[in-house]
Amino acid sequence: MPVSEIKKVGVIGAGVMGAAIAAHMANGGVDVVLLDIVPEGAEDRNVIAASAIQKLLKTQPAALMHKSFARRIVPGNLEDHLDRLADCDWIVEAVIERLDIKQDLYRKIAAVRRPGAVISSNTSTLPLHRLTEGLPQDLCQDFLITHFFNPPRYMRLLEIVAGPTARPETVEKVRAFADERLGKGVVMCKDTPGFIANRIGIFWLQCAVVTAMEQNLPIEEADAVIGRPLGIPKTGVFALLDMVGLDLMPHVLGSMAESLPTEDPFHAIYQEPALIKKLIADGYTGRKGKGGFYRLNRDGGGKVKEALDLSSGDYRVSEKPKLASVAAAKKEGPRALLAHDDRSGRYAWSVMSRTLAYAASLVPEISDDIPAVDEAMRLGFNWDMGPFELMDKIGPAWFAQRLEADGQKVPSLLKAAGEGTFYQDQNGRLTAFGTDGAYHPVKRPAGVLLLADIKRGAAPVAGNGSASLWDVGDGVLCLEFHSKMNSLDFKILFLLRKALKLVPQGYRGLVVYNEGSNFSVGANIGLLLIAAKVKAWFLAEWMVRLGQNTYRDMKYAPFPVVVAPSGMALGGGCEMMLHADGVQAHGETYCGLVEVGVGVVPGWGGCKEMLWRWAKSKKRPGGPMPPVIKSFETISMAQVAKSAHEAKDLLFLRPEDGITMNRDRLLAGAKAKVLALAEGYTPPAQETIQLPGRSALAAMQMAVDGFMKNGKALPHDGVVSKGLARVLSGGDTDVTETVSEREILDLERSVFMKLARHPDSIARVSHMLKTGKPLRN
Amino acid sequence: MKNVVIAGYARSPFTFANKGEMTKVRPDDLAAQVVAGLIKKTGVPVGDLEDLILGCAFPEGEQGLNMARLVGFIAELPLSVAGTTVNRFCGSSMQAIHMAAGAIQMGAGEVFICAGVESMTRVPMMGFNPLPNPDLYERYPQAYMSMGETAENVARDCQITRAAQEAFAVESHAKASAAQSQGRLSDEIVAIKSNGGWVEQDGCIRAGTTAEGLAELKPAFDEQGTVTAGTSSPLTDGAAATLVCSEAYAEAKGLAPLARIKSIAVAGCKPEVMGLGPVAASNKALERAGLGGADIDIAELNEAFASQCLACLRDLDLKNAAINVDGGAIALGHPLGATGARITGKAAQLLAREKGRYALASQCIGGGQGIATVLEAVH
Repeated sequence: MPVSEIKKVGVIGAGVMGAAIAAHMANGGVDVVLLDIVPEGAEDRNVIAASAIQKLLKTQPAALMHKSFARRIVPGNLEDHLDRLADCDWIVEAVIERLDIKQDLYRKIAAVRRPGAVISSNTSTLPLHRLTEGLPQDLCQDFLITHFFNPPRYMRLLEIVAGPTARPETVEKVRAFADERLGKGVVMCKDTPGFIANRIGIFWLQCAVVTAMEQNLPIEEADAVIGRPLGIPKTGVFALLDMVGLDLMPHVLGSMAESLPTEDPFHAIYQEPALIKKLIADGYTGRKGKGGFYRLNRDGGGKVKEALDLSSGDYRVSEKPKLASVAAAKKEGPRALLAHDDRSGRYAWSVMSRTLAYAASLVPEISDDIPAVDEAMRLGFNWDMGPFELMDKIGPAWFAQRLEADGQKVPSLLKAAGEGTFYQDQNGRLTAFGTDGAYHPVKRPAGVLLLADIKRGAAPVAGNGSASLWDVGDGVLCLEFHSKMNSLDFKILFLLRKALKLVPQGYRGLVVYNEGSNFSVGANIGLLLIAAKVKAWFLAEWMVRLGQNTYRDMKYAPFPVVVAPSGMALGGGCEMMLHADGVQAHGETYCGLVEVGVGVVPGWGGCKEMLWRWAKSKKRPGGPMPPVIKSFETISMAQVAKSAHEAKDLLFLRPEDGITMNRDRLLAGAKAKVLALAEGYTPPAQETIQLPGRSALAAMQMAVDGFMKNGKALPHDGVVSKGLARVLSGGDTDVTETVSEREILDLERSVFMKLARHPDSIARVSHMLKTGKPLRN
Repeated sequence: MKNVVIAGYARSPFTFANKGEMTKVRPDDLAAQVVAGLIKKTGVPVGDLEDLILGCAFPEGEQGLNMARLVGFIAELPLSVAGTTVNRFCGSSMQAIHMAAGAIQMGAGEVFICAGVESMTRVPMMGFNPLPNPDLYERYPQAYMSMGETAENVARDCQITRAAQEAFAVESHAKASAAQSQGRLSDEIVAIKSNGGWVEQDGCIRAGTTAEGLAELKPAFDEQGTVTAGTSSPLTDGAAATLVCSEAYAEAKGLAPLARIKSIAVAGCKPEVMGLGPVAASNKALERAGLGGADIDIAELNEAFASQCLACLRDLDLKNAAINVDGGAIALGHPLGATGARITGKAAQLLAREKGRYALASQCIGGGQGIATVLEAVH
């Protein structure tokens, strides 16, 4: 298996990108050697790499999935430690973009590397044929460009360029490792400038900037249209450039201008506006600098968001535009935006028509494959849809017609698509339009299983407005949520109950999984507000009981249930994980019991499961209090694990729960886990624990009083924490007695209901629903 | 009655809990290294030792069982030397000295090691299983009041301003760092093996501490209060030990006594102002010694918090005394169980070094108590 061939990785260059690549290799579980030059007169000859590792520990968002992974990265320098590359299986170069320096380095590496070890460059501007020019043949066979996107932990795209003499095993070794261990969506690219994502993405950004300047459009309006209405992140263009750094753009644009053929449409929009030059010169390089297109003005103590006026170059208070074009798009989709006749609609058309047409014109120059182009833009720029998917959404024929009416050239591929679409569903299989005019099945890497593919052309086994139940093969059912933000409501719980009845009728187990950006943001707390308004508290209590009983039944069902979260798994979503017989978590899972933020305690068995987990943990000190204290800390501070690895520290995941790095392999991993557990499955036994009761309550009350006094807890935090303390203490029990799960669930429910009625809790719920942020009262 | 002397004093470096250099050292190992260091330094014939009395404020976990006996085994003391672990919170190892003094005067032994240890890294304050009596907590919550809160109470009741506390803390750091840089601390310190290396220096002292820097800290215990982390003693890992014997024994064996124990006392006070405990205890001990505050040349007053130390100094009439000459716990650190042995041993050492006549060592104790020892020069 190729994956096992890469056990140790060398990274040369400990700048921002090199260090972050090293961190992500460590996330992937391999040992890393990180080398950089020896600065003149340095006392510590490894100072650059060593301080880069120290910086990694402080980077936000974290580059490392667990702080301890920093120990997998060994710092060194290029003068003393080249020999450390000798046992590396893959050596990534991420040094300054200078051909002579890179080639010199490759020769040095070639002298020490083991036969077959891969050398790759993270270059974004230099073509592969120039990097390998004049290098020995055996080196070229193992040489690739591996182009990571920043930040490498979070951006899923990896572009790989392989030269004509590259060995297929070399490519496959890196591809498989990047896919399975680094979680990357690997897109094979041709050796053309900017590869795929930057070729299109830089054109798009530049087009959006210069067009906004020409049309004198406020940047908030530009970001409002070239954003969510088109399935593009809400940072749009200008806020995205602030994030990337304005000073990076001249280099990237310059290198594009230098390397693209003269007939490329890029040249028509290439310019370096004086305004941007001045911004950079004055230190307005974006978020890392004093600000960029937007800035936060802290004069006068407050924080005022300001936007740059593109014509005057002055900042003014930023406004939230209300646009008819955006409203139209919300109702009728992106075509309504591009066809809209107000200035923002005309702007959107001007930018996106040229960008999409440019993308269409680049096939087959940059890739023979439409899905590869779409995937590169989805994973490299976080677009919901790639350019061809977007064209399908607005209608290729309509688009071609509009281009023509606009006097723009219609790319031949778009013409060839005619009245059809770029993607077609053929008997439940997704196919894509090829340059040969025929449709070809969209290939997935071996082992990838997507619910989206299963759903295509299949009918759910059961379903309702919030959830569906799918047969994912081999006797495994999959419960999918599709409510708003995947919040958990009674419909989801009903379907889960139904699934628990259906599985024994011919299935082997159940997976709970979905392909939303978040597994679940928690229970739908809107119900609490309704209950408060009409004083229908029985409704809220019924819902708590329903959740408790459903999760209990899921845990003790006579077949395995595996929960497979990705993204946020909060509150009730986290409690579902806690009750699963097994969890297969995506590495990027952010889970936590955050109920105190809305003034209540976990009510669906979360308190109970944490107590039992800590009681059984071998990592805790002895005695009856540590499980109580640990659970209290975790829940009262609403601790959220920032990765699946961190979730193991907090016991949201058990040591035996699995972690899948590639999002697209999560369902397959979960299914495999169900099938493995199904062999001779016996449900867990009901267990009791001993809790100290009132003595524990007094200890926690003391701690809460201290936090109130020193200002670390807000007044209502005190009320909620003391409620939580009552649940975790075991209530009126004594350390000589045992407590059952049922008793703790009853306590949870009664404390939950008491807190839910508290006006300050209701204020928290209402504020959360309105703003998405916790109220500090 | 037999005279009792302190005939030796040694301690480990004091380093920050949770982030210092001795976080990986077990407290029993730490204490054993200091005990061994003291034996080597004094040359006491170990076969003569009656007992190892070890103070510890949270004797559970790695500090649990009868740690003193285990430390005896680790330090390879003869099996004939007994061991007992005593707890009077921060006063634990001064209590150990008092117990030895009492035993010697009873004729129940000639020579004792009186030590103390606390790894505040490895056994947290309050221990792993805090289980307060819920009825007492309801009726009389100050029984369990946090130390920080009592320091605030003292600051408020005695009107000790934040600026005064900070000036006191700056002075403590200045004295300690001067003592450290002039090598005045090195002869009491036993190097400790930790993580394969040796720890030889105190780790909590911040040489450049300024009033301006301290003024920027937020109150640590009460949003509206005046006590900050900078005017409190830090959580610390450390151990200290003294050799306590009859004066006749010291003479017979050629040991070099540092000071004679003149009198001892403990006293209770309101738990909510436990920081004032040293006042009653010191006055009692002074009275028993037939002395007044003005007779004291050297005073070691534990700096649990600047507020309580200043309040005690205001009430005690120590007008001729040099106070905490080499710095106090705000700068050096306060490993709870070890501090009593440190300040008593230090007072004895200073009495010899500074050629004074009388010394006072005293400290406050959580729950509302004070403990005090009056020493007399032997030279």
